[in-house]
Amino acid sequence: MSSSDDPLARHFDEVTGLLYLEGQLDEEHTREVSAHLSVCAPCKQLLHALEKESVWLRESLQAEDEAIPARLIAPPQRGAAHWGWMIAFGLCAAGLYTVWNGFVEPSYERASQAGFSQGNVLTMLFFTGAFWKGWDQMRSVTELLAVATLGGVAIWLLRKQWRRFTAIAFVMGALVCALTLAPVVRAADVQRGAPSYTLPAGQEVKTDLIVIADRARIDGDVDGDLIVFSEYITVSGHVKGDIIGFGQELRVNGPVDGNVRVLCQTLSLNSTVGKNVMGWAGVAEMTEKATVGGTMTEIVGAAELDGKLGGDLLIFAGNLEMNGSIGGNAKIRADQLRIGPDGEIKGETKFEGRHQPVVESGAKLGSPIQVTIPKTGPDYSRVTYYWHRVLLWGASFLFGLLVLLLAPGFFVDAESAAKRIGPAIGFGVLFFIATPIAVVIACFTIVGLSVGIATLLFYAIAIYAAKVFVAAWIGEKLLGPSSGVGPAIGRLALGLAIIRALLIVPYAGFWIGFLVIAWGMGAIVLALYRRMGPQLAHAT
Amino acid sequence: MDRAKTTGAMSEADLAQVLSQVRAGDADAWGELYRRYAPAMFRFCRRVLPAREDAEDATTEIFMRVRQKLGTYDASRPFTAWLYKVASNHCWDTLRRRRIRQDLETGDLDTLPLEHPDPDQLERLQNEHTSKEVRAGLAKLPDRARMALVLRYYADMSYDEIADTLGVRRAFVGVLLLRARHQLREALGGSEAGLAAKATGGRKT
Repeated sequence: MSSSDDPLARHFDEVTGLLYLEGQLDEEHTREVSAHLSVCAPCKQLLHALEKESVWLRESLQAEDEAIPARLIAPPQRGAAHWGWMIAFGLCAAGLYTVWNGFVEPSYERASQAGFSQGNVLTMLFFTGAFWKGWDQMRSVTELLAVATLGGVAIWLLRKQWRRFTAIAFVMGALVCALTLAPVVRAADVQRGAPSYTLPAGQEVKTDLIVIADRARIDGDVDGDLIVFSEYITVSGHVKGDIIGFGQELRVNGPVDGNVRVLCQTLSLNSTVGKNVMGWAGVAEMTEKATVGGTMTEIVGAAELDGKLGGDLLIFAGNLEMNGSIGGNAKIRADQLRIGPDGEIKGETKFEGRHQPVVESGAKLGSPIQVTIPKTGPDYSRVTYYWHRVLLWGASFLFGLLVLLLAPGFFVDAESAAKRIGPAIGFGVLFFIATPIAVVIACFTIVGLSVGIATLLFYAIAIYAAKVFVAAWIGEKLLGPSSGVGPAIGRLALGLAIIRALLIVPYAGFWIGFLVIAWGMGAIVLALYRRMGPQLAHAT
Repeated sequence: MDRAKTTGAMSEADLAQVLSQVRAGDADAWGELYRRYAPAMFRFCRRVLPAREDAEDATTEIFMRVRQKLGTYDASRPFTAWLYKVASNHCWDTLRRRRIRQDLETGDLDTLPLEHPDPDQLERLQNEHTSKEVRAGLAKLPDRARMALVLRYYADMSYDEIADTLGVRRAFVGVLLLRARHQLREALGGSEAGLAAKATGGRKT
């Protein structure tokens, strides 16, 4: 305050002015300020400016600038949902573990004992390849799932600290996992062809060799695994480890001490393979000169096996011609099978396919061929068929109920997304086709395995869940819109029953099923997008 | 003071009925209450917590807390005042937990500039900045300054309520608000020196 003793002449400070304006001064002070204001123009001006500032602040702050975001439109429910999901996820993992231990693992054991040691394609491709030597201890998918669950729970618990970066955290977690596992893999010699790569004859690579090139020619020797990503691959040298190849065409002309695992259009084997051959190919050819010490597992369009196979054969083929010899058992699932006059199968032969196999007169079979020709289409005359439909209905109803009760917000979102039939089906078809492709791409890049498997799991769940939302839509169409859980359950049950009934219809049922999956999947994708997207909804 | 402006009007009788229904566990009434007050609460959180995601989370958490604590609400007091109290406590806790508060608990008139602001400059500042810019400027303030301005000029809280929420002496609230105003002026580009009065001859107080 001013040094003057006259209260009228004493200017007040800014705080006093503000307190006066806001009615926070006691009576005596208020009177003093009022009296001073009546004689002091500058203080009056100051007070006026402060008052205007208050109005300005109030207007700026109280402006209804932003509508409430979409994810806040529904009132929050009690915090049970997250725990519900976690328990459901935990139970699911436990259930899978039980199924694995009680059913899959024993069958796998039996298959191993029978010689099909590499029977599981997934395990073989990802968990025993040279890429994934570090995964050997984590061979079981269940263990992986358990770790994933644990990671999911940990991330969820830490979510508050990391704020909203759950998705990023997930990906980063997978990355860190991949990176920590990477050092387990032996150091490798990585070669990038420009555009082609040739390992000249006489040269030897003393470690694993990874080649990425348009064309790859391996004439020299590799004292380790050979991993090749190339359009045309020809291996004429000696590979002491495994060959893992991805390409258009792969020719193996030199001896391989380990396994051959390939994903390609054309596979041609002309030499000795010490262990097993596993392939996913359009055309596979094993020439007379070829010898495989272990087993052969193939998923192939057309195959010609003229060489000598020491172990078992497991093959899924469109067309199989066999003129070589098989030391073990053969399990063949093919459209057509022809065993030529020089063909020989020492163990049992099981064939499953649409056409009777042709066995030429000279062929030698250890035991008569067991042929199963599966009936196409269901047997409508059997009661059990309908009973199974009812059970399937029950399972999907239970699943739908779980979603409805645990995540009602998402359920409503997905159901309303399903109402936009065009976009839902469009997106659904897109994701139905694109997701597996994305997964394959993700899995074949070093970092992406965890992401790929997680996406695959989500994809499988989405396919199963799809019909739930379409059913809810059908139910609502028939019985009219409703609010509340009870009526929604009724509508869900009715809709699912109708879908199940439609799926029974011969031929059309298949397409109806596809349509329902696409439609529901699109609804799920749209609902998820709406939940994750930052877009605003207009507040009501 | 007009709290209804930010929260949307609802007659007292209607509100009392809705509240008793919510207490009885009526989900529709809860939805009604939420729809009525959520937009204002969200905007409140948006102003107090700079990150949008935080504001969204906080809005949800505030309503969870409201639902839990509704039994403790004293119907003789305005509901919106209680709601803002719950919201401000929650947001203040959130900020405090983050430990990013840089402003000091102590502080007095000493830290305020001694000169009066130039009223003309102040007016120019107000004319030159849109509401959006003011809110953007608000995000640059220290937590407590920002909180004080929002509690006072958005939620229309009394000095007592502000003192209670921020854990300061009541007498300090005025200083806090004035300092926050100064900081906001500065954040909006009007430097303190520029705003200092020339017309008033730099009156010392």
